[in-house]
Amino acid sequence: MVDFTLWDILRNLLLAARWTITLSIVAFVGGGLVGLALLFARLRGHAVGDRLIAAYVQVFQGTPLLMQLFLAYFGLALLGMPTTPWIAAALALTLYTSAYLTEIWRGCVASIPKGQWEAADSLAMSFSEKLRHVVLPQALKISVPPTVGFLVQVVKGTALASVIGFIELTKAATMITNATFRPFTVYGMVALLYFCLCFPISWWSHRLERKLHAGR
Amino acid sequence: MKPLFRLLAPLALAVLASGAHAQAVLDDVMAKKVIVIAIPTDFPPYGFVGTDMAPKGLDIDMATYIGDKLGVKTELVPVTSANRIAYLQTKKADLVISTLGKNPEREKVIDFTVAYSPFFQAIFGPKTITVKTPADLAGKSIAVTRGAIEDQELTKIAPPGTEIKRFEDNNATVSAFLAGQTQLMATGASVAGNMMARNPNFDAEYKILLKDSPNFIGVAKGEDKLRTKVNDILVAGKKSGDLDKLSQKWLGRPAGDLPQ
Repeated sequence: MVDFTLWDILRNLLLAARWTITLSIVAFVGGGLVGLALLFARLRGHAVGDRLIAAYVQVFQGTPLLMQLFLAYFGLALLGMPTTPWIAAALALTLYTSAYLTEIWRGCVASIPKGQWEAADSLAMSFSEKLRHVVLPQALKISVPPTVGFLVQVVKGTALASVIGFIELTKAATMITNATFRPFTVYGMVALLYFCLCFPISWWSHRLERKLHAGR
Repeated sequence: MKPLFRLLAPLALAVLASGAHAQAVLDDVMAKKVIVIAIPTDFPPYGFVGTDMAPKGLDIDMATYIGDKLGVKTELVPVTSANRIAYLQTKKADLVISTLGKNPEREKVIDFTVAYSPFFQAIFGPKTITVKTPADLAGKSIAVTRGAIEDQELTKIAPPGTEIKRFEDNNATVSAFLAGQTQLMATGASVAGNMMARNPNFDAEYKILLKDSPNFIGVAKGEDKLRTKVNDILVAGKKSGDLDKLSQKWLGRPAGDLPQ
């Protein structure tokens, strides 16, 4: 059998953490962009578009991420579309994140009193001007804590990508534990690494919140 | 995972039955000079990782052996017991060499070659607990890996009142048992052997045999050309003693009589 030193375990976990970070960034950026586009489409207020996006949100909120990843990788292949784990993970994580973010942000925009829209109307602002100058700056402040809370969830959710062959932090830990039979050491380190990834995000969100409110 | 797989399996069959790829895998492999083989990384000594995270073990040696005999490069894909059949059905792997036992349920969705290595599942536990027959299991808690052969066998023989706790992979099963969350553990002999060697103070021992189930290589349904070719390699390997050498190296005993 192989003998892992503590350093071997930590070194391999750190290497695997690169995947966790990369997948998280893909989810943040892809999901953020798509989520924002969906938000604008929804604010436009077309009845059909609105209903389609609501259905989209329900589908991705109502099914487990594990299943979405599985279907994106194996399901598309069954339909004759060859996918690489990369494409499947990027696709599934982007769709999943965008569905949650667009719903979170819609709620933030909806919490802005109607009077603000009407006041902007009375100044003859166009739709994009209303969003840019009146509604979004106010909604942004409200959106920071729920958005960051969700992003921290996504970081931990990337562990599910191991089902389509990504050797990220959690999967690497499983593999090492199976070779070392020291689950408590390995999973203890993994918990610590996840904390080191998630804590700075939460901390930064607190700072951002204070900064945004200082301007009031 | 398992309900999902059941959901997907008919869909997979429908697509495969369309015949778009039937019989083509061996030709593809020979043309590309690469064979993609799914292997385990969570099942020592069949498949596990070294300090460089590179997979090694009996299944990995078997995979490279087949690649060598075909005269092509072997590309290894790490899989788990939950997704290994999906890899085969969606052509993301040409062969699955991943301690795959043969059962009628699996035979409906994939094909098998002849056996390549021995394997058996059993119940293990500390010496302080007496378990001689399945009836002794009543009132005891047992850790087992969900969907594995030992899960099905255990479910069959366990009397009412047995508390079966299912975990997603072998590693979680062993961890639960070692942490004292269950009194007994049902698993493959090799996993238990390793666990006992690593934790001598735990004083665990073999209790009841669940099933003698040698390992087979999985091939996508209908890929008879590839299956026949791999069978030829295995039969020749058995005759020349190569398979025995592999078993001796990783399991400490020769392959013995394997079903054809």
